Amino acid sequence: MEARLSGLRDLYEDFVRTFGNVLFAVCLFLVWGVLTLLGVVVEQGLEPSAYFDAYAAPVARAIVRLGFDNIYHSYWYVGIIGLILLSLTVCTFKRVIPARLPPLRPVRIDKIPLNASIAIPGTVADVRAKVDAFFRKRGWQVRERTFDGAEWIFADRFNWARRGVLIAHLGFVIIAAGATIYWARGFAGEAAIVTGQTFEIPRTHALVRLDGFGYKIQPIATKSGMVYQPIDYVSHVTVTGNDGVAKHETIRVNQPIDIDGTLYYQASYGFAMRFDVTHDGARVGSLSDRTLMEGEALEIPGTQKSVQYARFVPTVDRVTGQPGPDPRVNDPAVVLNVFNGDAQVGAALVPLQTWIDLGGGWRIVPHTYLMYTGLQYRYDPGATLVGVGAFVLLAGLVIAFYFLPARLYVRVDEGADGTATVGVAATTVKGYDIYEKQFGELTKALEGNAWTSS
Amino acid sequence: MDIVLMKLALAAYAIAALALLAYFFTRQPALRAFGAPLAVLGCAAQFAQLIARFEITGIWPLLNLYGSLSLFAAVAVLIFIIFAIRYDLWFAGGFVIAIAALFLAYATTWNEGTMPAVPSLQSYWAKIHVPLVVSSYGAFLVSFVLAGLYLVRYYVERSLAKTAALATAGGHASVAATGGWLASFPSLPQLDVLTYRAVAVGLPLLTLGIITGAMWAHEAWGAYWQWDPKETAAMSSWIAYAIYMHLHTRNAWRGMASAWICFASFFVVLFTYLGVNIFIHAGLHAYQR
Repeated sequence: MEARLSGLRDLYEDFVRTFGNVLFAVCLFLVWGVLTLLGVVVEQGLEPSAYFDAYAAPVARAIVRLGFDNIYHSYWYVGIIGLILLSLTVCTFKRVIPARLPPLRPVRIDKIPLNASIAIPGTVADVRAKVDAFFRKRGWQVRERTFDGAEWIFADRFNWARRGVLIAHLGFVIIAAGATIYWARGFAGEAAIVTGQTFEIPRTHALVRLDGFGYKIQPIATKSGMVYQPIDYVSHVTVTGNDGVAKHETIRVNQPIDIDGTLYYQASYGFAMRFDVTHDGARVGSLSDRTLMEGEALEIPGTQKSVQYARFVPTVDRVTGQPGPDPRVNDPAVVLNVFNGDAQVGAALVPLQTWIDLGGGWRIVPHTYLMYTGLQYRYDPGATLVGVGAFVLLAGLVIAFYFLPARLYVRVDEGADGTATVGVAATTVKGYDIYEKQFGELTKALEGNAWTSS
Repeated sequence: MDIVLMKLALAAYAIAALALLAYFFTRQPALRAFGAPLAVLGCAAQFAQLIARFEITGIWPLLNLYGSLSLFAAVAVLIFIIFAIRYDLWFAGGFVIAIAALFLAYATTWNEGTMPAVPSLQSYWAKIHVPLVVSSYGAFLVSFVLAGLYLVRYYVERSLAKTAALATAGGHASVAATGGWLASFPSLPQLDVLTYRAVAVGLPLLTLGIITGAMWAHEAWGAYWQWDPKETAAMSSWIAYAIYMHLHTRNAWRGMASAWICFASFFVVLFTYLGVNIFIHAGLHAYQR
């Protein structure tokens, strides 16, 4: 039993030693940074085949098998963040708190790089009083202690700022808590709604009906040619929330609406299509009444064939007959892909109201386009906490970077010829070099002030 | 008007960079006296150019790479001028201003004329987030130059010390322990502290920039964090400088090692700032191209 406890204690100490080590934390940061950059370089969320098209096979295989195609949601990426939070917690309790709030204790003044020895006329008691007053007058927090009969003066400045790193770490923990709340209780989704259609949000059962969608695109002549600059996307919707009252709302980019705590955003737009499908000249109602979004397909009954509505082309260039750059609807057409089974057997740019013959008496006519809006919705009960954490982190950084806590160790001893010798040493949380100039000025002022006032 | 101011800024920077580079090597006070006011003039002309562009077009001028690179150069030079005045750093000015001038010259290649903002950029956050992030990059440029100078001094000193040791061992005439121009540099600890101070300007600005970006994203895209390449790369920059700051707390790592990390971190910033936009076309920030 004793041996087992001792083993556990050793394990705990090893754990604390490792996770409380700044270099270990830095290594975790480094791995986190490299993985994060990797996710920037490797496009995320594609189909495996896209990686094999873009990279050499061994690289693509590594990307897909190691999860680099969805790196930020891989268990090991989340694991690294977890390890960082663990290291941060251990560092906070084992390193930051004890080191930032050091006890008052005597030191070897001459062993501290920032030290000075000043001879001041007067008795030890007088000089100690003068030194005490000198530091208090300049805003230092002065405390006197006796150790083994020797009296020490400890002067601290910006002592409160020693908690800067602690506050920054706390900010991280709050951010993590906010993100966890979203994972636990939040939800998000996206809906493509055609004009006139109503969509029900699964969790809240709120109803969103698209009354109309509009966009504004401005052609601008630039030095590199004509650019069609989007100016506005706007969805006019009717929303029915928990109260059962239908409200007319307008959603724009950067102007979401809030219904019962869930935010609705303008995310995208597109063109849905209706096709007239005929067989031997007769309209096939079951196919013709469908509204297709880009990417959706019609299966032709009794055949292996299917026709995919690949994309909408708002303007066909009248000279080339190819898709033009103007995104406004002028001479619209659709790109249709024809499949036989899984094999694509053809593709065509088909202007609206014209037809293509699929064989076997089947014809398809792109008939009417309908605009749809892409709305994003999100309920994030942790967002406020994340915001608070971010500002706590920032406050911690500002405190840690812009306030330099310094401690002076002062000892007054009997000197020669009626003087007292004031030994002063300084330490800071950021080393000695950063305080060298101020320390020089301080000791100079102490020397001048003490002489003047004597 | 704004084009004239831009050309004035470029010319002033080019001459100031040359004068201050010459000052770096010769330490002739006249060169400093000539270069420093030109740097101030160039910086003022740049800010005037950005204001003039806003006044003329009525469009916030930082919404494309032309405007943001212009602000980046202006802020880098401004932060450098503040550092130079406070810490007598003019000797490093040639490098900072030369790099700023190069970025500014590159910025002019992205000037497509007046274009209104796309819907996602039509937000008051554009006036907060972009200047904060770009300003942080400006501070990191200053820290990059200072870290570079630290490394130059460190390796030159080390090389001179080796040469001196060899000369002494061989019984030759003594070699000066420090180079003439090197002696007028700030000491290694001073350069280390200055580098730290520049990062201490940049990192909170970047933090605030990322926070405001997240707030904007929450308003515009529906989530404060979308793992978009640009925001993720910005987080990588933040991590790089966080590593620097953590290592700088350790006596054993303060100095040469932390200078290398600071120096290398700027390349992560460059990747974030330009690489993502130019080489990685996907993502929600792609409109900035």
